[in-house]
Amino acid sequence: MSSLFLALLRDHRRHPWNVLLSILGVALGVAVVVGVDLANSSASRAFELSLDAVSGHATHQVLGGPAGLDEAVYTRLRLAGVRDSAPVVEGHVQIRGETLTLLGLDPFAEAPFRSYAAGLQGGGMTGLITSDDGVALSRRAAHRLGLEAGEDFTLEVLGERQRVTLETVLDHDDPALDGILVADIAHAQGLLDRVGRLDRIDLILKDRAAVQRVRALLPPGADLVRTEGRNEATLQLARAFQVNLAAMSLLALLVGGFLVYNTMIFSVLRRRRLLAMLRMQGMTGGELGRRVMAEALVVGLVGTLLGLLAGTFIGRFLLQMVTRTISDMYFVLSVTGLALSPWVLLKGLALGLGATAVAALGPAWEAARVSPRDALSRSHLEHRVGRLIPWLGLAGVGLMVLGLALILWPSRSLVLGFVALFTLILGYALLVPPGLMALSRGLAPVMGGVFGAMGRMAARGVSAGLSRSALAVAALAVAVSATIGVGVMVSSFRTTVDDWLGQTLQGDVYVSAPGRSSLGLNPLLPDAARPRLQALEAVQAVSTARRVPVQSPRGTLELMAVDPAPRTPEGYRFRSGERRAAWEALARRDAVIVSEPLAWRLQLHTGDRLTLRTDRGLRDFEIVGVVQEYGSDRGLVTIHRDRYDRYWDDPGVASLALFLDPGIPRARALADVREAVAGLDDPVLVTPTGEIREEAMAVFDRTFAITHVLRLLTVGVAFVGVLSALMALQLERAREHAVLRATGVTPRELGAMVALQSVLLGLAAGLFAIPLGLLMSDVLIDVINRRSFGWSMAHSVPWGVLADGLWLAVAAALLAGAYPGYRMSRARPAEHLREE
Amino acid sequence: MSGRTGREWIRRILLPLLILVVAGCEGPEPAPGEGERLQVSRALSGDDLSGYARAVEPRSFRFPQDHGAHPDYRNEWWYVTGNLEDETGRRFGYQLTFFRFALAPEAPSSPSAWATNQGWMAHLAVTDVAGAGHRAFERFSRGAAGLAGAGLGPFRVWLDDWRLEAVAGNGFPWRLRAGAGAVALDLRLDALKPVVLQGEAGLSQKSGRPGNASYYYSITRMQTEGRLTLNDKEYRVSGLSWMDREWSTSALGKDQVGWDWFSLQLADGHDVMLYRMRLEDGGVDPVSHGLWVDPRGGYRPIPREGYRVRVLDTWTAPSGAVYPVAWRVHLLGQDRTLEVRAVRPDQEMDLTVRYWEGAVDVFEDGRPAGRGFVELTGYDPQGRDVQTDAHGPS
Repeated sequence: MSSLFLALLRDHRRHPWNVLLSILGVALGVAVVVGVDLANSSASRAFELSLDAVSGHATHQVLGGPAGLDEAVYTRLRLAGVRDSAPVVEGHVQIRGETLTLLGLDPFAEAPFRSYAAGLQGGGMTGLITSDDGVALSRRAAHRLGLEAGEDFTLEVLGERQRVTLETVLDHDDPALDGILVADIAHAQGLLDRVGRLDRIDLILKDRAAVQRVRALLPPGADLVRTEGRNEATLQLARAFQVNLAAMSLLALLVGGFLVYNTMIFSVLRRRRLLAMLRMQGMTGGELGRRVMAEALVVGLVGTLLGLLAGTFIGRFLLQMVTRTISDMYFVLSVTGLALSPWVLLKGLALGLGATAVAALGPAWEAARVSPRDALSRSHLEHRVGRLIPWLGLAGVGLMVLGLALILWPSRSLVLGFVALFTLILGYALLVPPGLMALSRGLAPVMGGVFGAMGRMAARGVSAGLSRSALAVAALAVAVSATIGVGVMVSSFRTTVDDWLGQTLQGDVYVSAPGRSSLGLNPLLPDAARPRLQALEAVQAVSTARRVPVQSPRGTLELMAVDPAPRTPEGYRFRSGERRAAWEALARRDAVIVSEPLAWRLQLHTGDRLTLRTDRGLRDFEIVGVVQEYGSDRGLVTIHRDRYDRYWDDPGVASLALFLDPGIPRARALADVREAVAGLDDPVLVTPTGEIREEAMAVFDRTFAITHVLRLLTVGVAFVGVLSALMALQLERAREHAVLRATGVTPRELGAMVALQSVLLGLAAGLFAIPLGLLMSDVLIDVINRRSFGWSMAHSVPWGVLADGLWLAVAAALLAGAYPGYRMSRARPAEHLREE
Repeated sequence: MSGRTGREWIRRILLPLLILVVAGCEGPEPAPGEGERLQVSRALSGDDLSGYARAVEPRSFRFPQDHGAHPDYRNEWWYVTGNLEDETGRRFGYQLTFFRFALAPEAPSSPSAWATNQGWMAHLAVTDVAGAGHRAFERFSRGAAGLAGAGLGPFRVWLDDWRLEAVAGNGFPWRLRAGAGAVALDLRLDALKPVVLQGEAGLSQKSGRPGNASYYYSITRMQTEGRLTLNDKEYRVSGLSWMDREWSTSALGKDQVGWDWFSLQLADGHDVMLYRMRLEDGGVDPVSHGLWVDPRGGYRPIPREGYRVRVLDTWTAPSGAVYPVAWRVHLLGQDRTLEVRAVRPDQEMDLTVRYWEGAVDVFEDGRPAGRGFVELTGYDPQGRDVQTDAHGPS
């Protein structure tokens, strides 16, 4: 019995390439999924931990208006006996190129809130409170930043450099503290320019009575919110981004699954003779099936384990990119370690083994049921595959129809969107074999005409070996279509954003205080900046902007207060509402315009009312338009500066847009502007519009870098698939080729035929990939992206992306055909024939 | 959960701080391996007293100014204790103490209202003699942003919503309000005697070392009326209270382990303060002394040789500390023999800083002869209160 099984193993030893490629295929598929999963879960976990570390055990938080909360509110609460309360000043600082969250705390009030405050040793706490410049870091963070207790260092905050001393190293290894810098509240108020103000008050309120008691003590501009709800909302923002990543990794698994199936079915098909002989020696069909299954699982296990290992490396690399994107867009995050959760690894194991098992089911079944006589006849197999083709086509059409129906189904569900997408892809993949058959049959005369007999044979070989080549082509087509789909989507998005930037940046020059970031409050311009600039001859008009977070019953929103110049309204593209009427309403009424993502997320429409918490209490604002906006996927509310000043006590301006006189040379105008601001108390940045546009696009590209990487990984998986499929295909044909050699075909001719066949397969995959890629891009743009973020974008199909896809497929196929071709041409026919 | 964390935090941070504040560098070197807390205290023992004002010689006290804070000294307290009863004769004892301690001689230079070098701690305790027993609470705060402090015009000392303040201006009557858990006090205090200066014209020596002394005055008898709430039940109470005021920059001597402090209000109108600074060898430091206040407010010091104290009974607290709870006090100069007994033994202040502070009855010739308060430190075998209690050797 075991000697019969050994026969199977011996066969592997004779063809190590097959086993190695199978293992590699499984490993790559698993690695990509596990890598993305690990990066995603590590980032999520760090995200949650950071939020928890920042908000501590607080059940509720008191939040103020844009200018923060008057610190007297806290004293009022304490003197009224609201005990479990702690003041917090929060902002971002850069230390040695890293962005950290600065938490200004009162150590005396911290006990119930942030347990790591317990890490403040006695002397450390005293030092933090009483020194002029003391800060605290966790041991890990200090180590990472290369800082030692007592060391002086510089940090950058609000665009200025400040010297501080690492007074205390928190005796804590919690990774959640990796991105947190703690300072005494007095010191933090100074650093963040928040003297007299708090960012929030953390509270532990045990019941409704306590909530009501606190609410009664608050001024109208202060809001009491549940911490859980607030953190959840923050987490939710990044979730769409993460779902998208996860889907990309599933795509890789799908391709990986094809690959595994492909390899497994091959290992059976290639050994049909051997299997048949084993049957004849008395092995039952069931035994053979189990053997094949067991063999597949061994391959699967080895591949999966390798994949897990590789996945952790890929994950480490991806994590950097994910963190970067989250920090750019949502929340300053320091993730220093991969959270190797057993759950993720188990999932990877299950996926790898599961995919192998599913993929091996067919081959095992095949091995079990094949009759010894049929097994010895290849034509029987191809005949059966041929009968299967119409059914495949039917199933493919059915699935595609189902996918389209799912897409048209009115829903906001992102997951449903992805289900639809995958259904479409699967359906399309099933259409590949019939398509390939038609293509090769149609091409055979053409190829014959161009390349002669070898060309005809190459084309016929494809359809004759459909059982193997169709799978390889389907896998490659899906992989290439993914690169096309994602490529078209990103390029459409990029073009749309670039266009939008061109329109929205109406000013010629922008003036802002240094230290701007997309997160948190931006520093204010000196008051003297505006009058000085407005007085310049070159400046025709000035508009101002101030972006602040405001509270609403539906969570924290970004509010942009704009004092428009005559041309400002032209910078807005209305998706609904009318430009002129809307801007008139903004100036005269309690009205706002909202951005597309916000309208999508909160399901707001023109004519609806949006409630905002102002410094005068809750106020309703009429929505007079929905505009395109790509600056933030959280959404933006635009309000006229006059209204803002009426309801909020926050007189500052963060940036100015200057509209220059076209009659004055641009260089001179810029020089005038620079000179005018040079004498201001604080430094300001003068940026021409073009530079802003470039910067914005750089951020855009950085955000999508991870998408490109995943795209490449998917292609990598497909590439290995094609390699293994084609190599197996050609190696298996060794005897056939030997016969050809024996009948007088030269090695060169044989090599050319193998190469031609490979090119044909690659070309077929590339061509099949294009419609699927375009279809995928449509779904990504109009369904996935829309349901994730609410952005609308114009489709733009860059020919380059399509050409790249085609080129990629052909190159992969050619490379895959190279080795078998080389071997074929060198092989001595007698050797192969002797094997019989 | 948060409570536990809170305790942990205070234990690790504020306790060493208080050790530093009260015991300072003169404290005995802790034995190695005595646990983290002591190691922290050792780490801190390099700190010195330079930069703080010291109580070196007698000063002239001025009121009401001296009711306010003296932030240049490292520590200071407002210590109010009293015995109360309601109309039915139900007995209560209470304590409300505000401790101020400087974290550094100088405040950081910052425009922020939170910038400070002052920390505050407050203790509240109520003893329901016949019923619910003894409850004790503590609070901490920075002395900034209006959260805690002491001031005049009107006179007030506060930490969060615990406060002792003049009803108007700086003079009596004062109002004391504090609550925590199921306990709340709202009392009105009226001085029945003027301020008395302890020690040598208000300079109270703590050890033989110069500068190791405090400025110390008391108001030994205040008529007290008001409301005491316990477990949702309100009692109208009245009785007598005692206030100690003390500030210093000093530390216990090397061989001192703790103190017993008595404040007794006798039924015949006399008030007595006595303290015994206990030494490691079981003896009593010769700097220990007392004060005898007559019914009209006249007073004279009682020297170390002028009184004898014998322990009659002890009580073992759940913490393992064995506290004396009954004494025979012999005042030689006054020729009085008083028997002092705790109204109930379980009046340990099981807080971050652990000590015993409780209401007592005074008997003379077997008959009730007055009431008072006693404070005992240095009895905790875990060393929690050794040299850590802020109520100085008076």
